[in-house]
Amino acid sequence: MKFKPIKKSMARTLLTAVSLGAISILTSCSTENISGMGFPKGVSSVNDTSLPLWQGAWIAAGVVGVFTAILILWPVFRHRRKGDEVPKQTQYNVPVEVAYTIIPFIIVAVLFYFTAVKESAITKVSADDKVSHVVDVNAMQWSWQFTYKDNPSAATVTGTTAKPPTLVLPVGEKVKFNITSTDVVHGFWIPAFMIQIQNLPGVTNHLEFSANKIGTYPGRCNILCGRAHSQMLFKVKVVSVSEYQKYITNLKAA
Amino acid sequence: MTTYATRTAETAAPIKKSESKGRLFVKIITTTDHKMIGYMYLVTTFAWFLIGGVLALILRAELARPGLQFVSAEQYNQVFTMHGTIMLLLFATPLFVGFANVIMPLQIGAADVAFPRMNMLSYWLFLFGGLMAFAGFLTPGGAASFGWTAYAPLANSQYSPGVGGDLWVIGLAMGGIGTILGGVNFITTIFTMRAPGMTMFRMSIFSWNVLLTSILVLLAFPPLAAAFLALESDRLFGSHIFDPANGGAMLWQHLFWFFGHPEVYILALPFFGIATEILPVFSRKPIFGYKGLIAATIAISALSVSVWAHHMFASGQVLLPFFSFMTFLIGVPTGVKFFNWIGTIWRGSVSFETPMLWVMGFLITFLFGGLTGIILASPPLDFAVSASYFVVAHFHYVLFGTVVFAMFAGFYFWWPKMTGRMLNERLGKIHFWTLFFGFHMTFLIQHWLGIKGMPRRYADYLATDGFTTMNTISTIGSVLLALSMIPFFINIWITRKSPLVGVDDPWGYGASLEWATSCPPPRHNFTSMPRIRSERPAFDLHYPHIKTEGH
Repeated sequence: MKFKPIKKSMARTLLTAVSLGAISILTSCSTENISGMGFPKGVSSVNDTSLPLWQGAWIAAGVVGVFTAILILWPVFRHRRKGDEVPKQTQYNVPVEVAYTIIPFIIVAVLFYFTAVKESAITKVSADDKVSHVVDVNAMQWSWQFTYKDNPSAATVTGTTAKPPTLVLPVGEKVKFNITSTDVVHGFWIPAFMIQIQNLPGVTNHLEFSANKIGTYPGRCNILCGRAHSQMLFKVKVVSVSEYQKYITNLKAA
Repeated sequence: MTTYATRTAETAAPIKKSESKGRLFVKIITTTDHKMIGYMYLVTTFAWFLIGGVLALILRAELARPGLQFVSAEQYNQVFTMHGTIMLLLFATPLFVGFANVIMPLQIGAADVAFPRMNMLSYWLFLFGGLMAFAGFLTPGGAASFGWTAYAPLANSQYSPGVGGDLWVIGLAMGGIGTILGGVNFITTIFTMRAPGMTMFRMSIFSWNVLLTSILVLLAFPPLAAAFLALESDRLFGSHIFDPANGGAMLWQHLFWFFGHPEVYILALPFFGIATEILPVFSRKPIFGYKGLIAATIAISALSVSVWAHHMFASGQVLLPFFSFMTFLIGVPTGVKFFNWIGTIWRGSVSFETPMLWVMGFLITFLFGGLTGIILASPPLDFAVSASYFVVAHFHYVLFGTVVFAMFAGFYFWWPKMTGRMLNERLGKIHFWTLFFGFHMTFLIQHWLGIKGMPRRYADYLATDGFTTMNTISTIGSVLLALSMIPFFINIWITRKSPLVGVDDPWGYGASLEWATSCPPPRHNFTSMPRIRSERPAFDLHYPHIKTEGH
């Protein structure tokens, strides 16, 4: 009996350590973007849609994770063998079993609801003639080709492995992307924007989003495409609408 | 045929070489004994684990700093392709066959598996298939370099010429046929060779999981073998099965992941089974919710064939809500399993011998891998981090957390059953803690790498990307992880002549039937069969007076 309070405080210290650890996992993704849990805020329309889900899902995962970890570690410290006792041989407890089947189902049902809402918002695309900016993204071993189809005629930028191209986007305006590949499968990924889609040969994929913050962001191919896969990079440069118009005009003139 | 019983008697006496090396060799290549074949599987898969581990160290060394220091970009692709291939198809999958061979017939009270010679054929197909795939390194063009996923059309002869790719495809198809035969064997054994009294609902969870895994093998491996043969036909004979002009790029992804996702559970279920065997023994309690646990495992197996396209969310070509919902659903029975495990140790008499320590490592590691799995099941979040180091970290938490932690748990737990001798506890604990910290140091930080935008399968990154520090930490962790193998080898070496345990159940509270026969068991496993009246025949035999509660 004398030792009981000490053990209790040990258990409490442990629980605190576990919760602190979990909280630090949840929040310390990056010091500059603690609340974004690793992602910058407000950089693209996809980011605006997905970031709250990312935060919410991590909070849910954190709560479930900490709760389960406590349940695992509790018997580790509190139900340690003391003598040579044989405990009560409990095999079933139906109410508990029903509870731990239904509660996870409710949790995933809620997560799925928000997932379905966000996902249909992200994957919605308009017809080419309904959007003011259309860019064809064509991938090849091992670089990118961007074709700006703003009226009246198209202008193309082709990168090389040694000289990765830049994708210039107007800030705050919806852009539709038609995405394909001329050889193997590639992946069109802009990490900060929280969006990616595969460049499939023989198939054209579509995305539509707006970049919402002026700046330069890295883009990378993320589906293995051969020897120079890791050099298949591009830059996304988000500029003001007038600068964008100037860029397109110059490109067409060139 | 020399029997184990006589060998035990011989080794108990001062060591004398009763068998020449030649006779041992003949015995190995001709054996049809399930235990011997099981040991051959375990030794071979462990060798593959070490080779795959060395390849992983090459990858980590290359990534420690920006720039290419050790290998070229092409060699890097070969190394990660073979690392993935070896770890999944030559280590983890046949490791299941190894454990199932050694333990399952003992647990159901059978003398051997149903088709001993087919069992032997499975092993040799696996061994030579694996060697064939690995032999690509000896060819002028090097080994296969299109990733273990071999996406079309990168894996065809136009983009990946060279015989290394052909050896890979045919070698794996061969090994796959071995795995299919193994699955057939285990299903037949479980359905037809259970001892009198061993009803399905008295069978231990490990054997249940072997059954369900084998069913998944029969669902998943034939499509894979067919896809491999079709791919080879494209490569060799110029057919157009995976031609992008005919939708071949997506066809391959569907076929591959229709195998690939059940494969994840083929790798997980047997090792969940090992954990489920160990927790009751060191808590001195029965499994909590035995029938619910079986129901959960059946649910996982059924759902696992309906979630394959969650590997293809970013392809833009799959029905996102369906596959997302099914993937979320699979979290429910997985959660049930966690609570079964917790319920088993809850209010038990819990002690931490080495096997139990490894199971705890599994629980904590797999818990985190499962939670990041729920994140990835949501397509909007998958779009943010798919095919990045976040995914690399996630599947190492899931697979390493399950397969490797539970493998060592199983080794320490069944070592006396297999060899008649205990492994050293102190070295086992050093082994565990080194591996545990090494693993988490290597892989935890990779989640952040992925969020920061590092794609998987990159040989190199820029100094300006901001990935350097995190990669260096991960590499240091991987060295610690590799060093953790040293205490294990020392352990095997120093305990090779330690005293025989001399009892059926050295752990004291074993429940399943393998603890009711000698360590190691005689040639045909049992000299007498205890009465089987519950799912704990060995426990009932040793503690007939202890009453079970909660029915």
